[in-house]
Amino acid sequence: MPVLQNIAAIAKGMSITFREMFQPTVVENYPDGPGPLKGAIFQERYRGVHVLQRDENGLEKCVACFLCAAACPSNCIYIEAAENTAEHRISGAERYAKVYNIDYNRCIFCGYCVEACPTDAITHGHGFEIASFNASDLIYRKEQMLAPMPAHMGANAVFNRDEVAAGAPSLPVQGS
Amino acid sequence: MADVNITVDGKKVTAPAGTLLIEACKSVGIEVPSFCYYPNLSLQGACRMCLVKVEKMPKLQTACTTVISEGMIAITDSDEVRQARKGMVELLLGNHPLDCPVCDAGGECELQDMTFSYGAAESKYMEPKNHKEEQQWSPVVYFDRPRCILCYRCVRVCGEGMDVWALGVQNRGVGSIIAPNKEDHLECEECGMCIDICPVGALTSGAYRYKTRPWEMNHVGTTCAHCADGCKTTLGVRRSETGMEIVRGDNRDKSGINGDFLCIKGRYAFDFANREDRFVQPLIRKDGQLAPSTWEEAFELIGKRFKEAREQHGGQAIGVVGSNRTTNEENYLLQKFARVVLQTNNIDHHRTADFPAFAAALRGKPESTASMRDVFNAPAILLIGNDPTEQHPLMAWQIRNNVRLHRAKLYVVNSRDIKLRRQATGFLRIPKGAEGRFAAFLNGDDSVAENLRPVAGTGADAGESRATTQTTPAGFRDQLRSEQNLIIIFGAEIRGGDIASVVKFGSGIAGAKFLYLADYANSRGAADMGLYPDLLPGYHPIADSGKFHQEWGGVPQTPGLTLPEMVDSARSGKLKALYVVGTNPVGRFDIDPFVFSQSFVVVQDMFLTETASLADVVLPAANAYEKSGTFTNTCGDLQLVKKAAEVSGSKSDFEMIVRIADAMGADVHKLVPFGRGTAADMGQSRGAQSGEADRHSVWLEAHGLEPKMSPFDPMAILDEIQRLVPGYEVSRMNLLAGNDQRTSLVGRASGAAQNPELIAPANDHLFSSGTLGRYSRTLNSVMENHDQQPAEF
Repeated sequence: MPVLQNIAAIAKGMSITFREMFQPTVVENYPDGPGPLKGAIFQERYRGVHVLQRDENGLEKCVACFLCAAACPSNCIYIEAAENTAEHRISGAERYAKVYNIDYNRCIFCGYCVEACPTDAITHGHGFEIASFNASDLIYRKEQMLAPMPAHMGANAVFNRDEVAAGAPSLPVQGS
Repeated sequence: MADVNITVDGKKVTAPAGTLLIEACKSVGIEVPSFCYYPNLSLQGACRMCLVKVEKMPKLQTACTTVISEGMIAITDSDEVRQARKGMVELLLGNHPLDCPVCDAGGECELQDMTFSYGAAESKYMEPKNHKEEQQWSPVVYFDRPRCILCYRCVRVCGEGMDVWALGVQNRGVGSIIAPNKEDHLECEECGMCIDICPVGALTSGAYRYKTRPWEMNHVGTTCAHCADGCKTTLGVRRSETGMEIVRGDNRDKSGINGDFLCIKGRYAFDFANREDRFVQPLIRKDGQLAPSTWEEAFELIGKRFKEAREQHGGQAIGVVGSNRTTNEENYLLQKFARVVLQTNNIDHHRTADFPAFAAALRGKPESTASMRDVFNAPAILLIGNDPTEQHPLMAWQIRNNVRLHRAKLYVVNSRDIKLRRQATGFLRIPKGAEGRFAAFLNGDDSVAENLRPVAGTGADAGESRATTQTTPAGFRDQLRSEQNLIIIFGAEIRGGDIASVVKFGSGIAGAKFLYLADYANSRGAADMGLYPDLLPGYHPIADSGKFHQEWGGVPQTPGLTLPEMVDSARSGKLKALYVVGTNPVGRFDIDPFVFSQSFVVVQDMFLTETASLADVVLPAANAYEKSGTFTNTCGDLQLVKKAAEVSGSKSDFEMIVRIADAMGADVHKLVPFGRGTAADMGQSRGAQSGEADRHSVWLEAHGLEPKMSPFDPMAILDEIQRLVPGYEVSRMNLLAGNDQRTSLVGRASGAAQNPELIAPANDHLFSSGTLGRYSRTLNSVMENHDQQPAEF
């Protein structure tokens, strides 16, 4: 009785459909959800736009060792190093990254840079909304990736005190 | 010495008696790790990394201090040996900071390598590390004490190698520290050898500190642009906003004629290339002011004015001044351009030595010039005049280490107590300016012996010299006559007929060779390539221009004007145009700038020198680190100059000469024989990253089969040089592979007598380098630190 077999198969299939129809939805409410992530939910391990971390004194952790750039398979990290001086101290060690660019046109979010970093300076954040109509916007500068100052030093996104003092708006860092 | 047979790890090794075990192992490819052992330095036995098991000896032995003996059986790789090495690395790392990410040596650190190869990932030590602040010992040397592993290489290279003894050890045992011998700073020649030789990052270079990392740079081994010794320097270059920027110079590739050596100029004085005040566009004088312009406008104007001058006043109305720092190809092209296109023999350069007289004196003895490598191996050396320590640092290094390692005998004749007298077997101090008389005396003219007595009260005794007996000129000469294979090195104090006297004296000594000291990177090349008003390349007299005449078709037959004559000609208004390539005659010879007010002056240079500031057109030139070609050092060693850096807006002198010729309507094909060769490889495989393609192009180039599609290709001119200039028939393959090649000085009857008065030695010292040195910040800061003045022009 092939006809009956066919009907049974359809009924079996449709039963799954109807059962799922009354289950609660698992689709994220992005981008209409609440909060700064607009309803997006991330695993902790998610590899998004990089964040350059600071130490407990608010100094940059990056010492411009170039290991991330050396590890990068898509060759998208560009660094220029400079020497810290007593008057102008940026990082905890002798050297800091004067320029730190990541080209997100090329980055494949593999995480090798994070693994290579000896000072845990570069980490993956959860930023993902980086689409742009202009490819040159996708080259992120250090200022765009740097973490805000730690809480006890005034965590209100004043990541560049000089610029804020000069009148720049102290907005939170995008993607961090 | 008799050979000794030993067994290392089951391999039979035969080496001369007296060989160290570590060297014997190396000869069969067994690497024994070591920090303190360094070839050609005294043995230290400090680091204990080279421990090996030798049978019948109770404990592990240090391979660097053990001399091999017959039947010795050594084991370099066993559990015991490995355990010992691991323990040594752990001890070394006990107080070594883990700052590899910021350390300049990170990536080329021997301790890093050893830790990876032999060390343990974990340490048993829990104690906090003893930190000390970094110290600055000189403008170019920094010391980070905790990183130091006390191998004493720096102390030994400074003392034994350089004979400077600026570094020493304070305290004993575990408290030992490397420290300057003079309070808190180095009193030294700032050569930076201690930095190069440091296996870790304890000694770092002031010029390169914290700028980048070794693997981030391209490393280009090229020839130094400063003195005439021709050291190979490895330039680290990286991208910059204006092209490629030189970040450091060092001696990473020790394959050059300089071996381990490099002086301050080769190591740090590349920084003139990075200056912001360099010309980056052509300037044309409009309304009395030099105004920025375009290349097309500049070449058109120069072409028009040069052509006018040639057609209305003849070639005699045009003067050309060449440089000591442009490549052989550029010098050859420049004189060919002057003679063929400008129709003039008015071409000269700043002469720092009398090479035409040297070539004439060596007639019939083409192989009797000494190479830089010969100086290190000769059994005896006579040095007349000059102060190689200051003016020829590599020559001084070769002499010094020849004396130290091979017990060569050094005889010094000088009017000053030069530093090399400390190595001398015989030191003869003569009055200032008596070098020529000494040459005559050598040659048997005893009547001048009285005039060779040193001036009373100037301390003419042996002083610190190794010379044991008081030397009289006659005794000195007798001693020299008893030598064999003597190398006679003389400075520009000896010129004209005196050179012939020296050569004649040397001819009486079996195997004697000669070496004449000029002052700039390509002084010898400029002379060999014929930047003379009366000599063609290879010291061919103008009147006898045979093959050049055939090849070039029409060379003016009358000798042209020398540089002072050009100045006189300009003063009387006869010189309508002057073309100055990479040199600064106005500053150097203190010429009245108004002399050239009637002439159309074109200058190719990097900076606004005294000459450039009175030019009608200034063309921004690339320096020797930014172009390819060859240099001939003062000994005649031909070496490759490789393009390392690039500053956008500048062009090589080669390209500019060709473009000017083109603007004058000359046939560029006749000037540069380009567009020949095989058409098989049209360049598709060039510039590819694949090693195969690259090797292919090297092979093509070496066999002269390269397409040479470009009129700006110096290799096309090198073909012609090798074909026409005697003495330059060297192996292209070896030259392009980066090896030094011997050219020979083929002497000929000097055409017109050279006027020795035209020779103006540069008298540079260790920290100055002619006009170029003025634009090096490092040299200036070091000079300030040493309270020295640049050499007087």
